[in-house]
Amino acid sequence: MAPLQKRAWYGLAIGVVFTIALIVVFIAKGGISTFNEDQGFRIIIDVLWIGVLLTAFISTGLTLRKPGQVDERDRLIVGRAQVIQLWAVILALVAWMIALTESYWDEGQIPVIFPYLILISTLIVSTLAQSLGILIGYWRGVSR
Amino acid sequence: MTDGKIKNRIRRLRFDNDEMTQEELANRAGCTRQTIIALEQGKYVPSIELAFRIAKAFGVTLEEVFQYEETT
Repeated sequence: MAPLQKRAWYGLAIGVVFTIALIVVFIAKGGISTFNEDQGFRIIIDVLWIGVLLTAFISTGLTLRKPGQVDERDRLIVGRAQVIQLWAVILALVAWMIALTESYWDEGQIPVIFPYLILISTLIVSTLAQSLGILIGYWRGVSR
Repeated sequence: MTDGKIKNRIRRLRFDNDEMTQEELANRAGCTRQTIIALEQGKYVPSIELAFRIAKAFGVTLEEVFQYEETT
């Protein structure tokens, strides 16, 4: 298995595990009301997701920079994966926009938690889409 | 405009060169073993630069490794 492919599997696993962990911790700790009232809880969630995302991004960067680890085909696959990543992020943002607009149109404003959730979910979607894009690239093959 | 397919004789050339391993060819050509596997399976078409490096690794010309076949 190519080093980049291995990294993509790790990225996918980290993304899925972290998403599940985040949802479980969020619900177990009392959900949105606790998040609004408890600054300590907000910091725990912040540290969790920033830590995991930094680990994922740094490990990708290190894999791509190591000499002999990746070649032109790997870079081509990463390039295609970035297109998938971009579309996934755009779709996630469109979904958020439609959902929030339809839900809070009458109020004229959205709760302060949503920009936070939009950022977290977008970064998670981005990480998952990149990993999936890389794995699809290795599975289907890539051509110019 | 006609479509075409680029075929290669990498597997044959490896065996003709003292059964050179995929890893050895990859090291000589400056790519990963996975790319050599993809090339042999016809799943990847290399850049012109990599194609030249592979030909050089075998000590042959580009045309002896890669062939362009037109399909109608």
